[in-house]
Parts: sequence; structure tokens; C-alpha cells
Amino acid sequence: MRVSVHFYSYFKEIAGCAEAAEVLADDHTLADLLKAVFQRFPKLAAMEKAMLVAVGVDYQPRNYILKDGDEVSLFPPVQGG
Amino acid sequence: MKRQLTITTQPIDEPALIRERKASDAMGAVIYFLGVVRGTEGGKKISAIEYEAFQKMVEHQFHILFDAMEKRWPIESVRLVHRVGVVKVNEPSLWVEVIAPHRGEAFAACQWLIDEMKRVVPIWKKPVTS
Repeated sequence: MRVSVHFYSYFKEIAGCAEAAEVLADDHTLADLLKAVFQRFPKLAAMEKAMLVAVGVDYQPRNYILKDGDEVSLFPPVQGG
Repeated sequence: MKRQLTITTQPIDEPALIRERKASDAMGAVIYFLGVVRGTEGGKKISAIEYEAFQKMVEHQFHILFDAMEKRWPIESVRLVHRVGVVKVNEPSLWVEVIAPHRGEAFAACQWLIDEMKRVVPIWKKPVTS
């Protein structure tokens, strides 16, 4: 399956792009996707503890099972107001 | 509960928002909060803050918060405006109004909404120093 990964705030500068695509085997989780993303963008791995992860417009836990076409967003803690 | 959410690059027109206020005669508390850009960030002087939003998720997360507010307090109306893009020092970036029968629930709901916004609504800020 293919999922898109979107970066926001300073994660864009760290990754060097606003989005990327990853191809994973079926039944892989967000944790599996993060491993693949960190291999491709090693500097992002240091941000993992504070990283917020959403699929579509909802936050999801790391054991969320991805589906083909999912849009995953990775971003730092939010700072509205 | 009436809800109005505006995410905009335009300056917040406070007098217009106040003119558009509607409250039934059962409401005894109208409170609003204005968040203004400070001239320093992390101890350094700045000229503005640039706000970035993940717009679709911002709207969705705010509506989840409004749903929770409605369950917890007898709020008649909530209106919230958040600016995105560059907001200069001294200009408002956030305007929130809560209308309720009594001040206790109005203050509590407004405080809770802003606290939760800062926890889950995907908006980020970047200081501008020019």
C-alpha cells in the first residue's frame, strides 16, 4: 500500500520537504511507517518523543493499522493562540 | 449551542464581532478573550509572529472541542477567530467569545477551550525578527 506523509512547522525544514510518499506492506502500523520515515529522514527521529501524529484529521496511536491512500501528518507540539 | 469558527489571514475586526453578538434573554454572561502578539519571544525582540495551520484538521479539532464544551456547560454560543499568516506585535491573533447563563461557566468554558486549543489544534507559530 501507498501512504502519503505530510510535514508541518519546522518538521518541513528538518525533512527538507513538505510531503513524501511511502510504500508499505499491508497491515503495517503507524509505528512501522515512522521507522521507514526515520530511515529516510534521520534527523526527524530525534523529534519522535514530542511528535504528534494524525491520520486524515484525527490523532491516532502508534498501533493504528494503516490503509492504502491514508494521509499521515507529522508535526511538533501545537502552539495556537 | 451556536458555534462560529473563523480561520483567517485578515485582521480581527473586534467592533464588527461585538456588533454581531446575539444573546437570548436567558443569558447573563458574555465574556470574550483577546490574544495579542507580544513583542518578545524566548527573551528576544520580535516584530511579528507567522502562524501556520493545518486548516482541515484545525476545523475538525475545534468542532470536537465545541462538542465537548456543549456537553459540559450550558453554553448558548461560542465564537472563535484565529488569524494565520503574519500577525504584527500588538495585533490580536485570537478572539474567543462565550455566552452562558452565568459567569462561572462562561469563564470556565473559555479557559478550557483555549487550554485545549493549545494542546490539540494544529497551529504553529514562527517568530519574525526583521
